[in-house]
Amino acid sequence: MKASQIVEGVLFSSDAPLKAEEIARADESLDEDKVEQAIQELRTLYDESERAFQIMELGEGYQILTRPEFASYLERFDTVPRPSRLSGPALETLAIIAYRQPIGRVEMEYIRGVGSAGVIRTLQDRDLIDVVGRSEGLGRPLLYGTTQRFLEHFGFSSLDDLPRPEELPVILRDRSPLEELLEREEGGPGAPGREPVEGEALDGGGEEEDRHG
Amino acid sequence: MKRDVLVVELDRFQGPLDLLLHLIRQQDIDIFDIPIATITDQFLGAIRGIAAEDLDWAGEFLEMAATLIRIKAQMLLPRSSEEEDEDPRAELVRRLLEYEQIREIAARLSSAEAERGRRFSKGYLEPRPKGLLLDTPLETNWEEVMEAAMRVELPHPLARAHRVTTGLVALEEKIQLILDTLRMVTRVEFRELLAPWKDRMHGVMTLLAGLELTRQRVVTLQQSRLFSELWILRKDLEAWRGEIEGEGRGSGEEEGVGGRRPEREDWV
Repeated sequence: MKASQIVEGVLFSSDAPLKAEEIARADESLDEDKVEQAIQELRTLYDESERAFQIMELGEGYQILTRPEFASYLERFDTVPRPSRLSGPALETLAIIAYRQPIGRVEMEYIRGVGSAGVIRTLQDRDLIDVVGRSEGLGRPLLYGTTQRFLEHFGFSSLDDLPRPEELPVILRDRSPLEELLEREEGGPGAPGREPVEGEALDGGGEEEDRHG
Repeated sequence: MKRDVLVVELDRFQGPLDLLLHLIRQQDIDIFDIPIATITDQFLGAIRGIAAEDLDWAGEFLEMAATLIRIKAQMLLPRSSEEEDEDPRAELVRRLLEYEQIREIAARLSSAEAERGRRFSKGYLEPRPKGLLLDTPLETNWEEVMEAAMRVELPHPLARAHRVTTGLVALEEKIQLILDTLRMVTRVEFRELLAPWKDRMHGVMTLLAGLELTRQRVVTLQQSRLFSELWILRKDLEAWRGEIEGEGRGSGEEEGVGGRRPEREDWV
């Protein structure tokens, strides 16, 4: 039995993402590297044979999913329920948490300008965020972060798939807290001074680094 | 955009920052040089009709209104040059830009979500949110209910003998009461069974009767949510074995409270 066949069998039989190490448990001959290698082989195979599905990386796991261009056919079946969409406030709150995690409720509410307790509870119930710790501050408030389920819900393989702040049309160059996040990586795009960039997409201007950091 | 056209439906906005941003962007105002007096007036005008029924929501807009008015006041005051003379609007501008950024990210997340929604897995089923606890029937059993009841009704040492006698009669009686009731209707509210009596002991005994009948699979218990009304539902009246089964299973407590055997009386 070829490794790729075993991996294919395991992936086929699962309706949730599986980590490479989990797949490797199928057989003693497998390990994480071999599983990942097998997945590459399968991907090539599927592409070449024009399968209607692909192996997607969601969070830390792999899952066989149909290609998006088949959605219109599949949506006609009751057996394929439409996944529920998140509300505007939920998306806003998730955006804040995704970029600023770990973050407490008060901070989120300051950024959004509205109370967020209800939204936070909903997101927690849906397993999209979770408590990741407590702040050292007064009352030691809870801090929230995103979950694996968050990545799966949006089809991300990691937080790196989130849009990077400098790609966004609006950005405050010197004080944006979102940018601090970036500065952890390569020196950061810290154009000095208060250079308001408004309305239009910013291009050029000393941004050698690109998406795949 | 014409200046005078400022019909604003508040419901459309996520909050005060959203509204403020809308006012600014709609009029092509330079966000780094907000005409604070104009914007404050417009903001106040927009929230004039705000419904008092949703105080939390209204409060958030009023808080922003207060912030705007404070900034407006600070702009009028002469600023001493020694102090750090940051523009009073600076923090607001930062917040607005950050919020705008968040809104943009939320929009991107939304398209990512839509795109992800176009891919299906084998036998795809969206996991049920675990947070709907309040809406789903609460599974409970008579043991738990009794445990709760017993915490309330701590037996007074002096009243022991008396209660045992009451219990001895009451338990059989209450079982009969439930059976008789359920012969007529398929389900009954626990409270109704208690209606004729005020004594809490009747409540405890009715609970115990229910416990016994549940154990014998004669009835089932339902409660839609915590602390809501208990319903006793007919399951299989034929399953009633005609006697209370004290022995063989269950804890000493149940037997003791039931008071079937005289040697247990002093326990209760």
